[in-house]
Amino acid sequence: MKKPSHIIIFLLGLIITLSIVKAIVYNRLSTSGVYVGKIEEEIGFYKTQNAILSEKLLAFSSLTNISAKATELGFVKNSSLMVLKRLPLAVKQ
Amino acid sequence: MKWRYPFVFITFVALFFSIIGRLFYWQVVKAEMLSELARFQYSGIVKILPRRGEIRTSDGFPIVANKVSYLLFVNPTEIKDKNKTISTISSLVDISTASISSELLPGRFWVPIKAGIDAKKKEEIEKINLPGVGFEEHYTRFYPEASIAAHLVGFVGKNESGQDKGYFGLEGYYDRLLRGKEGYGVELHDALGRPILSKRNEQTKGMEGSNIVLSIDRSIQFLVENKLKNAVKMYGALGGMVGIIQPQTGNIIAMASLPSFSQKNYQEYDEGLYKNPFITNTYELGSTLKPIVMASALDAGVVTPQTKCPICGGPITVSDYELHTWNDKYYKDTNMIEVIQHSDNTGMVFVASQLGVDRMISYLTRFGIGSLTDIDLQGETFSSFKPRNAWYAVDLATTGFGQGISITPIELLVAFSALANEGKILEPRVVTAFENSNGEIFKVPPKVKGTPITAKTAKIMTEILVNAVEKGEAQWTKLKGYRIAGKTGTASIPVAGHYDPTNTIVSFIGFAPVEKPKFVMLVILDKPTSSIYAAETAAPLFFDIAKDILSYYGIPPSE
Repeated sequence: MKKPSHIIIFLLGLIITLSIVKAIVYNRLSTSGVYVGKIEEEIGFYKTQNAILSEKLLAFSSLTNISAKATELGFVKNSSLMVLKRLPLAVKQ
Repeated sequence: MKWRYPFVFITFVALFFSIIGRLFYWQVVKAEMLSELARFQYSGIVKILPRRGEIRTSDGFPIVANKVSYLLFVNPTEIKDKNKTISTISSLVDISTASISSELLPGRFWVPIKAGIDAKKKEEIEKINLPGVGFEEHYTRFYPEASIAAHLVGFVGKNESGQDKGYFGLEGYYDRLLRGKEGYGVELHDALGRPILSKRNEQTKGMEGSNIVLSIDRSIQFLVENKLKNAVKMYGALGGMVGIIQPQTGNIIAMASLPSFSQKNYQEYDEGLYKNPFITNTYELGSTLKPIVMASALDAGVVTPQTKCPICGGPITVSDYELHTWNDKYYKDTNMIEVIQHSDNTGMVFVASQLGVDRMISYLTRFGIGSLTDIDLQGETFSSFKPRNAWYAVDLATTGFGQGISITPIELLVAFSALANEGKILEPRVVTAFENSNGEIFKVPPKVKGTPITAKTAKIMTEILVNAVEKGEAQWTKLKGYRIAGKTGTASIPVAGHYDPTNTIVSFIGFAPVEKPKFVMLVILDKPTSSIYAAETAAPLFFDIAKDILSYYGIPPSE
């Protein structure tokens, strides 16, 4: 039967290695929180800009705005609907 | 000296137990409080507010959206020059210096000054770079089409906890769906207050509000509101209403009421204006109810279009009440087609008497009168019928011509849609689809409510109504080339036990084109002063709107 000292050494080495890896990963992750925070801020900024632009777009494309602009420019609504009892001469030809 | 050893020993033991006791107190008894305190030190709870869902018209345009706005706040401990800060803020946000000054008390760290500041104003204030002045971003309701469909949409106010809550209309009815669900995130910080990423996953997921898609056609709603506004002004009316429904689906295409309010500044308006009178107010609508009673009698087989009225030669006395026609003109042996054409009250008294109380109640119930239509809007009301044993002969007679019975405009519109849809009534609805935050769309299928009359009766009644438009008192205003079924209504207003002799509520209800009805429309004007008759007020408004809708749908004249 082999001595268990090799296994014990291997396990101890593995524990130490994993602990070091964990410490490194945690260290990296904890500092990247700052970058993630910055990225989130940037996303928030673009979301806000997007919302502001959407608001402008909706305001410009609303019927209320189009109607007011059309009146300003002199467009008038066709006030009467014509019903032709007989076909116009041009259509007949 | 022997006592010293036990004394030291007992002292140490006592100290040991007191330390153990103290540790027990902090680690067991006060453990929860301490861990809470620690959590406050190294973490912060971030509230993730959901964005309220949009309300879109049938073309996908949001008539209610969200816009970014800011809350201006001040931290008094960081202010360097108090007077300068107060006067600058006061001039920029239009709040008196006295009211700002009274808020900035010592010991306060966060003082809200003004909410609803737009991005442009925020930039303007930020440029001045005032220490201690900051902004909090919020989303508030934005109405690209201004106050269009205000009664239908409702508005967003605050509840007892200061959170957004929808009131009236769709905002009220679909509040839970629109507002979504708040989420919370716990963010851990290091000693310098920097966020720690590895511990950032403790979150309760919130949910954005769902968008709702309406059956409302934005263009028709816009034109209806403009036409109604002009008509109310032109006819000197106190107010008015227009409701349009698609009979085959129950979709409400447009619904407008005046006077109205602005959803954005709802606080500036009288609370009485918030209710949508089209679904909340009951009226004695008069002659516009006659087609429903006549259709019931035709369906029951108690009259035919050619049945002659044997009691129409003059005023009729019922239980000591003398009942007249609206213009005191009488037509002896008139038939049922002419009764509707002349809007003959005596003829309708005859029809009601032929129908009888039981069948009258039964048919009106089948038409949905005297109960809720179940439209998906907040605040719908109805007026139930009086008990069967309280119906007297005069009640039956007046119900025949639409007086003495109170109904909401939506009840009448839905009941009338049966005539345009082969006798079938569909549940009226304003929302046709929901869209959740993942973009999934759930459509709301149309729902048949009942079939009060047969398709044959509906067709006969339609022809009687076409005749009423062609030859009735409103014929001067009818649309040339189109076959439209319709009926005027000039109703007296009950005031303290009698009817007001000077004021009326005028209405016109109809549908077009008769061959394949695209819409059923009800127009009501409240106490017009230019004329008290529907044929001179409500009817021209109906045909004016109908002309534009037919043109909008590209429906050519049939004649």
